[in-house]
Amino acid sequence: MKLKFVCLMALLVCVPIGAQEQQTQEPAKIAKADIDAAAVAAADAADDQEQPAEPTPEELAGKIESLTEAFTEARNVLDALSRLRVTGYIQAQFVRDERSVNETTSNTATRNLDQFSIRRGRVKFTYTAAPTARFVIQPDITTSGVVLKDGYVELTEPWTTWRNTMTVGQMNWPFGFEIMYSSSSREMPERTLMYRTLFPGERDRGAMLSGVGFGDHLNYRIGFYNGTGTSQSFDFNKRKDLVGRFGGSWGPLDGGVSIYRGAELVSLTGQVSGREFVKRREGIDVQWVTPVPGLGLRGEYLRGKQPPAPGAPVATAAATDVEGWYFYVIQNLGTRHQFVVRVDQYDPNSDAASNAASWYTRTTGGSYIFHWDANSKVMIAYEQPKRQQQDPDDNVWTVRYQYVF
Amino acid sequence: MKRLFAIALTTVIAVPAMAAKAVTVKGSDTMVIMNARLAEGFMSKNPGATIQVTGGGSGVGIAALINGTTDIAASSRPIRASEVDKLKQRFATTGFTFAIARDGLSVYLNERNPVRELTMQQLFDIYTGKFTNWKQVGGNDATIILYSRENSSGTYIYFRDNVLRGKDFSPRAQTLQGTAAVVNAVANDPNGIGYGGAAYAKGIRFAGVKKDEKSPAYTPSLETVRSGQYPISRYLYLYSRTRPSGHMKKFIDWSLGPEGQQIVTKVGYFPVK
Repeated sequence: MKLKFVCLMALLVCVPIGAQEQQTQEPAKIAKADIDAAAVAAADAADDQEQPAEPTPEELAGKIESLTEAFTEARNVLDALSRLRVTGYIQAQFVRDERSVNETTSNTATRNLDQFSIRRGRVKFTYTAAPTARFVIQPDITTSGVVLKDGYVELTEPWTTWRNTMTVGQMNWPFGFEIMYSSSSREMPERTLMYRTLFPGERDRGAMLSGVGFGDHLNYRIGFYNGTGTSQSFDFNKRKDLVGRFGGSWGPLDGGVSIYRGAELVSLTGQVSGREFVKRREGIDVQWVTPVPGLGLRGEYLRGKQPPAPGAPVATAAATDVEGWYFYVIQNLGTRHQFVVRVDQYDPNSDAASNAASWYTRTTGGSYIFHWDANSKVMIAYEQPKRQQQDPDDNVWTVRYQYVF
Repeated sequence: MKRLFAIALTTVIAVPAMAAKAVTVKGSDTMVIMNARLAEGFMSKNPGATIQVTGGGSGVGIAALINGTTDIAASSRPIRASEVDKLKQRFATTGFTFAIARDGLSVYLNERNPVRELTMQQLFDIYTGKFTNWKQVGGNDATIILYSRENSSGTYIYFRDNVLRGKDFSPRAQTLQGTAAVVNAVANDPNGIGYGGAAYAKGIRFAGVKKDEKSPAYTPSLETVRSGQYPISRYLYLYSRTRPSGHMKKFIDWSLGPEGQQIVTKVGYFPVK
């Protein structure tokens, strides 16, 4: 049995080697045949019997057919790939903040803030299955970790000129101008304090209907949302929040009015099961391209009611009246230079100013942006926040490099 | 120190702006030959001026206008509201529009195809994939081979919005780069159908297009396009970010003038004046 196995193995190993040797000998024979043919051809140029035969039309047609088939397959793959669009941007920055301290014991948020960081690292995948259906997912990859920023599906109805679109998933709150304005385009490093406070993360989970009509002069976005933002993954209250903006565009002037109607369940000291507080905002925003070449102005005002912070004493907890505004002046010089001034104010309790917690904060800032090319820009920005009755050491310098692809 | 800073800043900003530079025109592949001829004609009359023309598609041209990498965008479709918004946000301008020519968007058929006329509804049915055989529109019993353009093309967008009424093209439509490629494909394919600008229509035949079953069929011509009888006609545009000045203004004015419009006609489009 063993002998049979050894013989079989020897056969299996030797036969291919033998065949290989035969194969390796073939080219030598062919080469010799070619040389002979060349000699004959040289001796008698008229004798072309050894010349390779011209391919017949049938053979050529077959080759073209096979190439067409391969091309069609490749094109099908390419068509599918071309429906997927990958875009994104990265913002690398250095921040110099007057609040920075050299210590290891305090909370990281209040320690040294002077540092290099990747502020945003967005990669947006958009798959357009058809003109009426789109799928978008956008993670943010930074030094702090990876979080999902956007993840939604869009369906657009094809029957009217309004192009009414239903968007479902995680997306920006449709409120005001600054939330919807991309961080990659914004002329200051961060959004204003009022938006950072009242709409943290700028996004929520919900379903939104939007459309544009009357010759693109009017637009609307309205939807229902959890009202929790994206920082928490669970919505504690049953009620969903209504958020919407109705906007218009008339040549150089754009604007809109926004509303937010909702409620938030807040756990209080003495009532851990929570109490529901009204959450309400109204806003108006205006953007104007002035007749002065390259000069744009933007402004926004909002007010509303903000629920108390979790853990407030049950006896005194109440929603407070909040108010805020901002104003931008943007001057473009040529295609590369932008000079920006921004003033914004946020008042966490517009009915009271008796203690420091209810003082408003007004921030005056400015930036210079150099657009290096179509993809990259460098921003140098300075911001000086002032409290209602004092000016603490919290001014911030930011130098940021951004690359968009 | 302050004065030094001011001088340095002025130098950084002003010197590149003062340097004489070429006027760049980027965008529509449909318009690229016309724009090149216009540029040649203009430069021959203005030796100090340089006009650089490149294609890429209307969407590409408008994107370049928005990101500041071209002076003029050439587009075979009107600029979209969302694109104007981007111009407003980035450059605080609504942009400036110049309709430079009119084009009858032609429907190409192979010369051997017995079909002579198509209604707008039949074109809709053919390109959305409802009709797949020529006998459904009075032709031979043969599969209809659809040729189309890449989706960055203004011609593609115009055809989709105005003939397909916003619906998607049939997945069987073969995407080709540039109208010339569509013309070549139809010229070599007896069962092919394509669409594109009149300027490229050599070696194939235009289908007569009817608004509906009862109306007469028209092929694109100066009269039928101007009168609006030909149902698939459009303007061809140049867009600038700022109010044109210097060589850019001269070039646009010249293109809209008698000499420029003569070139427009010569390359197969229709004058706007």
